[in-house]
Amino acid sequence: MKKPELLAPAGDLEKLKFAIHYGADAVYIGGKQFGLRAKAGNFDYKDMKEGVDFANSYGSKVYVAANIIAHNDDLSGVEPFFEQLADIGVHAVIIADPSLIRVCQRVAPELEIHLSTQASVTNWRSVLFWKQQGIERVVLAREVSMKEIEKIKENVDVEIETFIHGAMCISYSGRCVLSNHMTDRDANRGGCAQSCRWKYDLFEDGKDDTNVSETNELAYTMSSKDLSMVEHIPELIENGVDSLKIEGRMKSIHYLATVVNVYRKIIDTYMKDPVHFSIDQEWIDEIWKAAQRSLTTAFYYKDPSEEDQLFGKPERIPKYNFSGLVLDYDHQTQLATIQQRNPFKIGDDVEFFGPDFYRFQQKITWMIDENGNSIDIAKHPMMKVRVKVDKPVSYFNMMRKQR
Amino acid sequence: MTEIVSYARNLEEATQLVQVANVDAIICGEERFGLRSIGNVRFEEILKINHFLKLRSKKLYVLVNAIFHDERLKELKDYVDKLNDLPVDGIICGDPSIFTILQEKNIQIPIHWNPETLATNHETFKFWQDIGVTRAVLSNELSLEEIIDINQSLAIPIEVQVHGMTCIFQSKRKLVRNYYQKIDNDWNPEIVRYVKQAKTDHTHYPIFEDSNGTHIMSTEDVCMLRYLPQLLDNRINCLRIYNIFKTIDYNVQVSRVYKEAVEGYLADPNQFHQLIGGWEQQILSIQPAKRKLGTGFYFKEQIY
Repeated sequence: MKKPELLAPAGDLEKLKFAIHYGADAVYIGGKQFGLRAKAGNFDYKDMKEGVDFANSYGSKVYVAANIIAHNDDLSGVEPFFEQLADIGVHAVIIADPSLIRVCQRVAPELEIHLSTQASVTNWRSVLFWKQQGIERVVLAREVSMKEIEKIKENVDVEIETFIHGAMCISYSGRCVLSNHMTDRDANRGGCAQSCRWKYDLFEDGKDDTNVSETNELAYTMSSKDLSMVEHIPELIENGVDSLKIEGRMKSIHYLATVVNVYRKIIDTYMKDPVHFSIDQEWIDEIWKAAQRSLTTAFYYKDPSEEDQLFGKPERIPKYNFSGLVLDYDHQTQLATIQQRNPFKIGDDVEFFGPDFYRFQQKITWMIDENGNSIDIAKHPMMKVRVKVDKPVSYFNMMRKQR
Repeated sequence: MTEIVSYARNLEEATQLVQVANVDAIICGEERFGLRSIGNVRFEEILKINHFLKLRSKKLYVLVNAIFHDERLKELKDYVDKLNDLPVDGIICGDPSIFTILQEKNIQIPIHWNPETLATNHETFKFWQDIGVTRAVLSNELSLEEIIDINQSLAIPIEVQVHGMTCIFQSKRKLVRNYYQKIDNDWNPEIVRYVKQAKTDHTHYPIFEDSNGTHIMSTEDVCMLRYLPQLLDNRINCLRIYNIFKTIDYNVQVSRVYKEAVEGYLADPNQFHQLIGGWEQQILSIQPAKRKLGTGFYFKEQIY
């Protein structure tokens, strides 16, 4: 049984550090070009280098997503881009378009290539084809079931990566140009306007007087619940999946740290003692603290039904704020130095958490600002305060508060 | 050689497309293997259509462009075998699984490569050209300028859609049935539905479900009739007409007009501008009111 890699998204350098510190074996990032998350912070070469150095110090890896479906004009600048990534020491690139695969293989053969989920690979023969093209790893389409993964692993000896958590396209990824048609934004080059999640009216038979949505007072939408495989990681491990991927380069640090922490814990617990493994309710509870939508296992066990989609008003999910980042801790005084990320005050019930599923509840009873003055509320963004805590904390630990 | 290629739902439509419209090639397919065929054309019917076309030196291309999941792979192998035995003039594919099947069976059959949205530049098609495909079917979200550039870079012919709806979304999910389940209404699969962004606007996106999932189609029908000279002058020679959700008569008449216009232009370019108004009028006279005509992405800028 092979221990799979836990792969996390990192929208910027700070997120990269958190993801890795909280237990990601690898992170994927976007460069300034050729990636699909035009709106994420993304990395210039300097940040990329720092990220790679940071990852190396943990024995972790950095992958760069260059997963656009390119048009003719996008092709200039591809060669220096891959050359630069190789120089920086990036471990792999995630590519969807064969034109980019070719350039990368030519100018930076030392870069491993992972075929992006945007290519919608759904069967073992397609996986085999891409292996024959020199692809080291295939990221499967989200439509592939657990049984099909088993089949793929039986038939082809190549690394397989699957999504375990996060938001999902409701279409086959890459096979949707709603955004192009409705907003002139090219979805496959990072311009996706998420048109699938908009509200529509549905009509029958070309007749305008059959507004089914209006009659039934429910807008027609095509919005997927978010994927979560929190209760099914052992099965993916048993099937030999090489990399377990978390979606979300646009997600917050709090989301990232929380989700990575949980999956790290599950993988480690299972690998240590698969026989006595059972799901701990705390892991599931923890996942919900970062959840933004209701959750589903999507295509893994059945064809998704209306239960796996979002209609009407969203389900109420308790929301947590990232209140502060622990910068330092003094064992003598039991004082934690905290950088404020969202306001908190005396009397608040907060939760501290850190890597390896370390967590405890705390009431804020005493707090001083940088000048040593006692304060009631930490209201300024990024201000540093010292807070009395009952248990030791350390740099990178986080403090969250229910909204 | 210039080629007008139209979809047919059965032998009757193929017959009319050849005899009335004089098209050069026919596309058809069975739902289990091909995407968004017009009508589910079974192998026995394909056999008849192929026979009919062969006698008239016309070509038949069969849709084998589904996104395949494991359950259909075995059948796919047999299906390709059967098509190769006929043989047909080409199969339209978009899932790379096909190449491993052809390899194993040592089959040489012309492949028209159509991964829809996923092939949008010349280098990508050069990759597929080197893999062995014999025709590049271009994404519908490309500008004329991009199409011309791609065409100039390739040794194999390219095909573009010049008329009809385009697919703008495919999901594996049952997105229509799921909604009817949610509102607890009976779902009749025969009905063609459409969605609008808001009930007041003029958009009209047909949406339908089959065993390949849910498909959403464009709000306008592409009509490049007037711009045929720009395509032909640039040696863009394979011109596809795709009339899903239209009558056989509409399809035949539109195909006839395009064929006439192409031949008219090639015979006497100077005459084209005098005749184009009449040809356009013939299409407008049968165009359903709900379906606006447009030029898709041929002259559009996209941002990202």
